[in-house]
Amino acid sequence: MVLKKIICVWMFLFLATGVASAEGKKKIFAEFVSYHKSVDAAKVGLNDDIWKSIPSSRLPLQRQFLVFPKPMDVGVKEMSVQSFNDGKYITFRLSWKDSTQNTGPKLMDFSDGAALQFPVNKKPLPEYFMGEEKRPVHILHWKAWRSRDKQEGFQTVKSAYPNMTVDMYNFDYKVKGVGTEKTQAEKDIFTPGKAAGNPLSFDHKEIIEELNSEGAGTLKSKNIENTSGDAEWKDGQWTVIFRRPLTVSDPLSARFVAGEKMPVAFSVWEGERRESAGRKAVSPAWAEVKVE
Amino acid sequence: MQMRKVYNWQLGRKAAYVYPLGRPKKQWAIIFDLNKCISCQTCSLACKTTWTSGRGQEYMFWNNVATKPYGGYPQGWDMGMLSKLGLQEWDGNKYIGKTLFEAAAKNEKILQHVADDKDWSHPNLGEDEVAAAIERGDWIRIPHRAWMFYLPRTCGHCTYPACLGACPRKAIYKREEDGIVLIDQSRCRGYRECVRSCPYKKSMFNVETRISEKCIGCYPKIEQGEMTQCTTNCIGKIRLNGFVSTPDNARKDNPIDYLIHERKLALSLYPQFGLETNIYYIPPVHAPVAYLEQMFGPGAGAAVQTYRSIRDDQTLKGLMVLFGSMEKVLHGFKVDNSFAYGYDEKGNEVVKVPVTEPMYIRDFYDKKLNVYRHNTP
Ligand code: SF4
Ligand code: SF4
Ligand code: SF4
Repeated sequence: MVLKKIICVWMFLFLATGVASAEGKKKIFAEFVSYHKSVDAAKVGLNDDIWKSIPSSRLPLQRQFLVFPKPMDVGVKEMSVQSFNDGKYITFRLSWKDSTQNTGPKLMDFSDGAALQFPVNKKPLPEYFMGEEKRPVHILHWKAWRSRDKQEGFQTVKSAYPNMTVDMYNFDYKVKGVGTEKTQAEKDIFTPGKAAGNPLSFDHKEIIEELNSEGAGTLKSKNIENTSGDAEWKDGQWTVIFRRPLTVSDPLSARFVAGEKMPVAFSVWEGERRESAGRKAVSPAWAEVKVE
Repeated sequence: MQMRKVYNWQLGRKAAYVYPLGRPKKQWAIIFDLNKCISCQTCSLACKTTWTSGRGQEYMFWNNVATKPYGGYPQGWDMGMLSKLGLQEWDGNKYIGKTLFEAAAKNEKILQHVADDKDWSHPNLGEDEVAAAIERGDWIRIPHRAWMFYLPRTCGHCTYPACLGACPRKAIYKREEDGIVLIDQSRCRGYRECVRSCPYKKSMFNVETRISEKCIGCYPKIEQGEMTQCTTNCIGKIRLNGFVSTPDNARKDNPIDYLIHERKLALSLYPQFGLETNIYYIPPVHAPVAYLEQMFGPGAGAAVQTYRSIRDDQTLKGLMVLFGSMEKVLHGFKVDNSFAYGYDEKGNEVVKVPVTEPMYIRDFYDKKLNVYRHNTP
């Protein structure tokens, strides 16, 4: 009897969550347009005049609520997005209010950041949060750390803690023949992140990282495909642009087709609040961008 | 969050954990005799020169030694955690309070105390600081009214690691063969959920590689059947590294099991956190038992009594002299009337030490050499 009851409750829960997630997949919470303009979208600047002629959509963000740990609150609850394309490249310009600029790595300092997410295949549409198994999403991730790396050179311990003193490092002794003659690659074997080839441990030309994901926790960095970006913090506001080709050859990348709608979701991290990974602000569901 | 129930023998009950984690084939462990640590930091330096001498690792001490009760690396790691957890209780040897997983808010996996940059920046602040101000006459009173002791620590390669449970992308794993917990340096994305979640604060962030690192239990040595760097370099010979069993599989001839399960002399660090951590301590006999119970659980008082009676206990006395006597991990030991013996996994004798060092008394005046000699035992 008790067992039956448990089974019933369990079935009910199963049905309820099944319906809810199917609902979640269909629901589109906002729409905006990527206007067709005859301005080079691959090179457009952050504050070029063209942006004045493009309507901006204000979109809500909310605390990430699907995977643990779930933040109780987030720093950024609203953002604006503008977009245009020139038939070859597409550009997104995001802006949001953030009174603190978090651009440098420290032990417990986290980076401001933002990400765009697109489905690799629109049908069937993947789960809006980080995709799902066999239904990957393509993510463009900007980190404020990388912007500062690009401007000032890769930030190091020395730039994070200028007053720190160290006696000496391996291979840096002032005498010859004790490893000092090793190449940088040989020395890097002793730097765990580099030795393991972790993309985070190397300096990058681009401030945007491209990734694929098939569900929470499966994020995987991939090669940059002519994607570029720019970011600026001014008067308590971040403005970031993401530019990329409409189509590339990689089958794991999003393809934008003129005349079609493309699902998109956003994430924003407020470094000051130590937001990172799932501690972030997200779109409440997929939005759609109509590519003109 | 929906937690799993796992059996934690240190608490005498099932406790919450993120995954239904099985136990490894063998579990790495270190025992520290706190009565003998002199805070020489040789262990910290042995680890540092071996593993963390690069850029971004400057502040990292996978092994550290702090002065208790006030010292800590990072500062206040334990006090911060304990005050968040609040007053909890034991019922005899069973913990009836909440573990850190059980005390987590419903949106979190584990209760966290997050250390700030400044907490990490003075690895040995408060060194040699005693528990109270010294008053006139205190120095001639025995036992001393004001106490302190040194607490050396490594990662505990916990049976239920908070770092592993907290990592959003399963970049941390526990090795089946020896229970060592490692961060996959190619998978880590520097989220620092492990840094926030490890209550012992033994997962650390490398600013230069922008990912997290932690004590690797000296696995390359363990794979060769040798003890960790911080163990074999210990000047005070206070450490023994090996493998611990669960109580029902404990072997009396395994030195680690003997001290932990058979004699209950070595106790785990803050068992109430609920990680079933695997660094075990022989408590210092001169510190207040109430403090030791908070740190090592309800068995602290009895452990102090056992330690005080070692002089009349040939087996324990023999086992204690094996500490720091060899590089090889001991899987077995034996003590007879004069010697303590240690054996490797195949049963080969790898060490033999006299339980009591022989004493030679020489004449005060040596005629042959025409010198006077003092005997200083
Ligand atoms: S080397 Fe041994 S005695 Fe010295 S501080 Fe470390 S644990 Fe203590
Ligand atoms: S001590 Fe901390 S870092 Fe080490 S295994 Fe346990 S939870 Fe992980
Ligand atoms: S076990 Fe090895 S890696 Fe860990 S603290 Fe000791 S020396 Fe360092």
